[in-house]
Amino acid sequence: MNANEYLKKVLQSQDLADDSKEMQELQSHRKDVEELIRNGFGDSAPTIRYGGSKAKGTLIRESYDLDIICYFPHDDTGAGKTLEEIYQEARNVLSDDYYVEDKTSSLRLKAKEETDHSRADFHIDVVPGRFTDDTKTDCFLHQAFGEKERLKTNLDVHIDYVKESGVRDAIRLLKLWNVRKHLGLRHFILELLTIKLLDGNKSVGLAKQLELVWEGIKDVKDSIAVQDPANPTGNDLSGSLAEVWPQLSGAAASTLSSIEASGWESVYGPISEPESHKRVEVLRRAAAAVAVPTKPWCA
Amino acid sequence: MKKLWYKANPSFLAKMKTDVEKEYPDLRVFEKDNTIFIAGTFPLVYEGETVDRYEIELRLPPDFPDSIPTVRETGGRIPRKDDRHVSANGDACPIVPEEWLLRPDCDSVVSFLNGPVRNFLLGHSLVEEGQPWPFGERPHGPDGLFQAYGEMLGANDHSVIWKYLDCLSRERIKGHWDCPCGSGKRLRNCHLAKLRALREQVPARVAKQALMRITQLMTKM
Repeated sequence: MNANEYLKKVLQSQDLADDSKEMQELQSHRKDVEELIRNGFGDSAPTIRYGGSKAKGTLIRESYDLDIICYFPHDDTGAGKTLEEIYQEARNVLSDDYYVEDKTSSLRLKAKEETDHSRADFHIDVVPGRFTDDTKTDCFLHQAFGEKERLKTNLDVHIDYVKESGVRDAIRLLKLWNVRKHLGLRHFILELLTIKLLDGNKSVGLAKQLELVWEGIKDVKDSIAVQDPANPTGNDLSGSLAEVWPQLSGAAASTLSSIEASGWESVYGPISEPESHKRVEVLRRAAAAVAVPTKPWCA
Repeated sequence: MKKLWYKANPSFLAKMKTDVEKEYPDLRVFEKDNTIFIAGTFPLVYEGETVDRYEIELRLPPDFPDSIPTVRETGGRIPRKDDRHVSANGDACPIVPEEWLLRPDCDSVVSFLNGPVRNFLLGHSLVEEGQPWPFGERPHGPDGLFQAYGEMLGANDHSVIWKYLDCLSRERIKGHWDCPCGSGKRLRNCHLAKLRALREQVPARVAKQALMRITQLMTKM
């Protein structure tokens, strides 16, 4: 198995199928959230849909969050006159069924009940916002923390930007690297950084793409500038990237050394045995335990 | 007209129903159109864990237990193909019937479910995963029958197998017959002891069925 085949297998192990237990649980929560929002703001007809990595196709099993966006029409005040009111009202409505934690522009849903002083995290972020106009494309989000009170964004621009980049496999593997090494880089910024560093290299092999990204980060003193494609001038991402840049740069250098010294498994580990292999093993053992074997025939 | 087996012996059916539904709570035994059916979900259990499940239907023949039940997978999971040992009409062939009819517990549907049916479905689960049939498989058609009967009789040559079955299909074995082994000797001077030993295992009824089955398949070819 060469490096690219190995990396494809790593990616497969990170797939989260629609019929998986985790995804079914997420979908059931999404249904619940949608019901709470629609019942809570019945007259406002918000647009509710998946955002984030689920919509972009960059989700990884090891660290998945489901973004459910909930955007209200620009001229609707049923959910609140201001963005902050919308955010707070959404919070109130969701609090009926969930323990809600504030994030910068979203609401994190956790279990209401505490077990051993902690709450089950449902991996769901609800993102309330308001469309800027009738076209229902650009949207304003409330910013609960930070200098700005609102942020202009566009979900479809983000989704298309990532989907059309042609480097989603590399993005997923770099997200996994970011998670496993606890580098703390926001996944949205990692996506933008990866796309920027792989500009013109989408047709090279996956292993080479990852090396190019790490080469582009290692030994670079100051963080590379990335732009939010939906809001190039109004969403300054430099602070978030600069904050983790030293760790990122150091991890890129050590990862490249590690690949050179010990191969790709030193980065992503051995491939876990696929489910079908385990199933075959159990079935074989069951067959070996048969006391009186019989052979099928056909007339 | 001969009375249906389960009407002639209702307690036999009642016991079968109890036994099947006790061993397989998701299978149901019922009568429909003068036929006894056993249908429902069949679990493949190994070490207390259900490793797979199939929807099945068994149809017990009018001369049960002299003939074996017909088995069908009804969930649409197993393709109706020869290499899956399922005929175009959906009937599966988990075993050459006479092999089963020689078993001392051949009148027990639970044994049939625990044996050939379970083995067949377990094999199918492995085949689905790209594995070979775990216990091997018989060739299709008469070759498969000759292979099975040959193992039963300790012979390989088709004509010898035929002659053995012919002898065994008669109620009494006589020493002046030509020996089925093809030696040209009288049976009493050759394989009489072997044939008498086989008689203990292969009733004339089963040998007749085997001959009839070969004849039917050879005629079809």
